[in-house]
Amino acid sequence: MTTLTVEHVARIEGHGTISVDVTSGMVERIQMDIVEPARLFESMIIGRRFDEAPLITSRICGICSPNHTLTSIKAVESALGIEVSPRTRMLRELLVYGSYLQNHATHLYLFAAPDYVGLPSVFPLARTRPDIVARALTLKKLGNDLTTLIGGRAVHPVTAAIGGFTAEPSTTDLADFSERLHAAARDAADTVELFAGFTVPEFETSGDMLGLSSPDTYAIYDGDVCAMDAGWRRPVSEYPEFLSESVVSHSNAKHTTVDGRTFLVGALARVNLSWKRLMPAAQLVAEKAGFSRPSRNTFHNNLCQAIELVDCAQRCAHLCEALIENTGSSAPVSFEIRVGSGRGATEAPRGTLYHGISIDDSGVITAGDVITPTAQNLANLEADMRAFAPTVAGLPETEFVQQIEQLVRAYDPCLSCAVH
Amino acid sequence: MPARVVVIGLASDYGCQVQMTNMEDHLLDVLGTIDLSYWQLASSGRMPDEYDVAIVEGAVTTRDHVELLRKVRATAGGIIAIGACATGGGLPALVTHGDLEGHADRVYGERSSDVACGRISPMPVSAVIQVDYHVPGCPIDPAEFVTVMQRALRGMANRPPREPLCAACKIAENTCMYEAGIVCLGLVTRTGCGAKCVSLGRPCTGCRGVAKDANMAAARLIVAEHGVDPEAFESVLDLYNSASEDR
Repeated sequence: MTTLTVEHVARIEGHGTISVDVTSGMVERIQMDIVEPARLFESMIIGRRFDEAPLITSRICGICSPNHTLTSIKAVESALGIEVSPRTRMLRELLVYGSYLQNHATHLYLFAAPDYVGLPSVFPLARTRPDIVARALTLKKLGNDLTTLIGGRAVHPVTAAIGGFTAEPSTTDLADFSERLHAAARDAADTVELFAGFTVPEFETSGDMLGLSSPDTYAIYDGDVCAMDAGWRRPVSEYPEFLSESVVSHSNAKHTTVDGRTFLVGALARVNLSWKRLMPAAQLVAEKAGFSRPSRNTFHNNLCQAIELVDCAQRCAHLCEALIENTGSSAPVSFEIRVGSGRGATEAPRGTLYHGISIDDSGVITAGDVITPTAQNLANLEADMRAFAPTVAGLPETEFVQQIEQLVRAYDPCLSCAVH
Repeated sequence: MPARVVVIGLASDYGCQVQMTNMEDHLLDVLGTIDLSYWQLASSGRMPDEYDVAIVEGAVTTRDHVELLRKVRATAGGIIAIGACATGGGLPALVTHGDLEGHADRVYGERSSDVACGRISPMPVSAVIQVDYHVPGCPIDPAEFVTVMQRALRGMANRPPREPLCAACKIAENTCMYEAGIVCLGLVTRTGCGAKCVSLGRPCTGCRGVAKDANMAAARLIVAEHGVDPEAFESVLDLYNSASEDR
């Protein structure tokens, strides 16, 4: 028996090691060891003040911090019975989308694309295809600038508070961003074309697909949880009833299942579940690129991230315009501290993110819970690895490993999120 | 020959490594002048045996981290610690309050000993090895990072600001948070962020660490004079500075 190990898989966020046992060309065991150190956030927040929860849990992940901040805020607001203004909701949506632009652009171009063109990183591409790198950096910068416009900075937003925002962008800035976002639609569409042009392995995941869904909009800030195969829809507040977490010995991240079955969250699940709510431009570009839905091919997660970029550019431009016309306020609403428990969810770039919190009558946190997208994906990722590895086991070792790494990167895993 | 640089992540949220890429206009200019020999976040490839500068993000939370840092110190000519976790222990150091195993049990339950092995009380990089350059903040400011890295590449001395944030906040014409009875750590926190948070309506939570020139005793008096609960001041100080010797 030979054991292959890929220590610290590159171009993913965090420390993960793939180990595979092969006996005479047959894959006997394959798993993803998550060695990312635990920082114990769910325990760390106990005893802290309720309004520190968003600040602290934002630091679970510097890559999708807007989602952690807002999901924590939603959990606190649910515990304290706080309703926010429509303007606050619009600004929060924009904050999440800023994170989508920056995350998807970074993952697609810096992390995933080198796999498809046979390079170790994006840096050599700067010499051979400067146009592609320029497009990547333009989209990533637009995402960062949008997050900064709404949240005050690119990583760990400052302005998003319980009940509203402590500062707002000017009308001039919103108008400027509306133009930049419209202009970015072209780059986003080119991204779809680029990824549609890459050959991906024929593969189908056996897991279900979960995500937020809403009858009104492409659900990223709010909605109910829907399961594609199982066909159910349930409120976020019931998540501890349908998600079950378990400790596995080879991973500092817990694994998650739904009714005993592995499942997948993220762009592929969202596009499958909410196809009808995508902006028409995104549907058009996706169809032109030959994407047929629903797709069960995990490798299509990258293409779906690109499709979301098109949706995001157009939708955010419209949101900026609506904010210019809307005269409401986003100033934090007043509220009273009381005993309570609350739960919240948003769609982070990598999938549904859940936060739960309990608060005592003096505003001190007594319990906390966080289930991240990657923690939900890990069991399905391993199931996919087990199903996919035998189909490429005949390849030379380097290529075999590269194919497995490519599958891992298709999930865009974030291991500091997964462990937290 | 360009300087060979490696980037190492300990226990962190990768936010500071992300900030390193968040200077899109200058990314290739800056990174193009060095030989980025190892950066797991951005490139395949293994950690080399020789390099000139090591950039370290994250808090030290395992025995493996300690071993790794000792190796890095023996190899690198210059070490740059980036972010609140690496420079001061940061938020991860909060779990040193109380018993570490208790925190792990709360998260992992009865199987906590099966996972997250080799845990030690979180600490800053400087508690294990000598650090030559610090870039404070949660997250770091990309421009400040570039300045410090250029100093490191040229072997120049690091000159971090010593004074607290209040002056910068006055220049920004912000209303003092204490006027509204809100705990703000600007009066003891190392300046250099331009008072970003206060300017955006939020109090300073001390992510850049306690300033060398901060007068802690006077600050505590001011807090009390403004009718703010001294315990609340200490509690906010715990967020990023629980491991600080300067408080």
